[in-house]
Amino acid sequence: MNSAPLKAWIVQQFVPDITPADLDDDYDLIDSGVVDSLRLLRLISWVCDANGIPLDEVPITPDNFRSVNAIRAFVESSAQSQASPAATG
Amino acid sequence: MSLSRHAQESPDAEALVSGDTRLTYRELADRSIELARLLPPDTGAGPLCVVAPKSPEAVALLLACFRDRRQVLLPSPELGTDVLHRLAAQARCTHLVSIPPEGTTDALSVTPLNTIPTPPAPPASPAPSAPLLLTTSGSTGLPKIVPLPEDGMDRFMAWATTHFGTAPGTRVLSYAPLNFDLSLLDVWATLSVGGTVVLVPPERATDSARLLATLTAARVQLVQSVPMLFRLLADAAEGAGRTLPDVRHVLLTGEATPPELLARTARLFPSARIHNVYGCTETNDSFVYEVERAGGRTELPLGVPLPGVSWTLLADDGRELTGEGTGELVVRTPFQTDGYLDPALNGDRFLRPPGADAVHYRTGDLVHRAADGTLTLRGRSDFQVKVRGVRTNLQDVEQALLLHPDVDEAVVVALPDPEAGARLHAVVRPTRDSARLNSLVLRSHCARHLPRTAIPGSLEITDEPLPRTSTGKPDRQSIKERQSAKERQLAEEHQLAKG
Repeated sequence: MNSAPLKAWIVQQFVPDITPADLDDDYDLIDSGVVDSLRLLRLISWVCDANGIPLDEVPITPDNFRSVNAIRAFVESSAQSQASPAATG
Repeated sequence: MSLSRHAQESPDAEALVSGDTRLTYRELADRSIELARLLPPDTGAGPLCVVAPKSPEAVALLLACFRDRRQVLLPSPELGTDVLHRLAAQARCTHLVSIPPEGTTDALSVTPLNTIPTPPAPPASPAPSAPLLLTTSGSTGLPKIVPLPEDGMDRFMAWATTHFGTAPGTRVLSYAPLNFDLSLLDVWATLSVGGTVVLVPPERATDSARLLATLTAARVQLVQSVPMLFRLLADAAEGAGRTLPDVRHVLLTGEATPPELLARTARLFPSARIHNVYGCTETNDSFVYEVERAGGRTELPLGVPLPGVSWTLLADDGRELTGEGTGELVVRTPFQTDGYLDPALNGDRFLRPPGADAVHYRTGDLVHRAADGTLTLRGRSDFQVKVRGVRTNLQDVEQALLLHPDVDEAVVVALPDPEAGARLHAVVRPTRDSARLNSLVLRSHCARHLPRTAIPGSLEITDEPLPRTSTGKPDRQSIKERQSAKERQLAEEHQLAKG
């Protein structure tokens, strides 16, 4: 997954004073308060929307959205679990 | 508090509902007895520090402690390890008790604490008649420990269950975390009369659609919360054309409810009586006002004092204010603490007002008394605000920001926020030779020094000198106005861009 659009969205929505390049892949978005509980729902819904993941099936687990790295891992594992039934069928 | 009576008389009545989990009184009592066996032996040396996010297991654990008359320090599960250990040491806790994550073999995690034999300032030994030690929500440093006396808790539960008609079978929502004083009414009072507590676990607390589904499915009859919950529920319900007709009592508490939300709340709960409840951890509830369902109020009065409550307003000079005017509310309730666990913290918060025969608590809230006697809240007498129901001191947040070596000046203001009650905005001027400071760096810095609710929602970094009043103090009012104007403009531009 290319994380550039994700970083651009997070920066534009939540930290407009920095550039996407300032946001490290492992920066803790939750502990730092960049993403609070209400913003978390927006972030999840954007990530799912942008990556074609059905929102209903996503557990609201903050750890999956703690950093750009965590989100990338989450998206990639969701893509695999969606792909596998199609591959067998 | 004992469940044994309900467990014997109505063993199959539902005690707890949490998602798909349902526990009857017998199951809850049995689980609580099992957990009691796993507690460390009571040596009488000190309380247990229980760290437990809300769950049926956490309720059973606390009941086990109450049943065995083990004193419990119940801090917020979100505190950092360092603060948690300092709190536990101050209360002289012997063990840290928590519930391990699911999938672990042990039902309880029990860690002995090395209590330092001679702490520098030994606090008074906690009164044995205080089963529960809650903490205030301070934004920096150590939260204050508030011992709740057993007789005071009993009197509070008796008042709450009588006033709101909570009885066997009444279904009460538990929205606040277990460590909030609100849980005395939501959880412990309800279980004391054989009602059913419907638990909202912390990870579900901001999901409007699920919250609405939970209240609907569990046919909840009593809901107490800060305004945020009512806004979340109204958002979900209005979209779906739904209401919550099972709810009989709605308790608004923690902060002022905006008039627009009051009207939505009345529509959301078509059969409910709506109460504005005022209180704090130190005294528990002290005033209640029943809101007219027809609306028309722009601000809610405090209402009438609860039975047994005495109060007065003190002017700036400490003298009692009589007649019309604004003063600090000083109150004594039949439920209140005798003082903080560390008496050194009592300072001037607990005092005997002129002519009173008992110690009262200074709330720090400014209250206006109109000519007709109506009381209304006018804000704080200090720099405290509430963010998501957590008391936060603006000056403490400023001090934390100033700890960063690249920060020269910092001012923090609170802006009204429909969801959180208040949200913090910080304006920071970096030192002249600082490397480029950005909000991410400051946020990481704040996260090391502050609880999450005290981390400013927005941070502005500017090289301009900060606005000052004629006396040289930061001009918070002008900073607030400037930021509000900026946000309004942004919102308008956003609308234009969308339309």
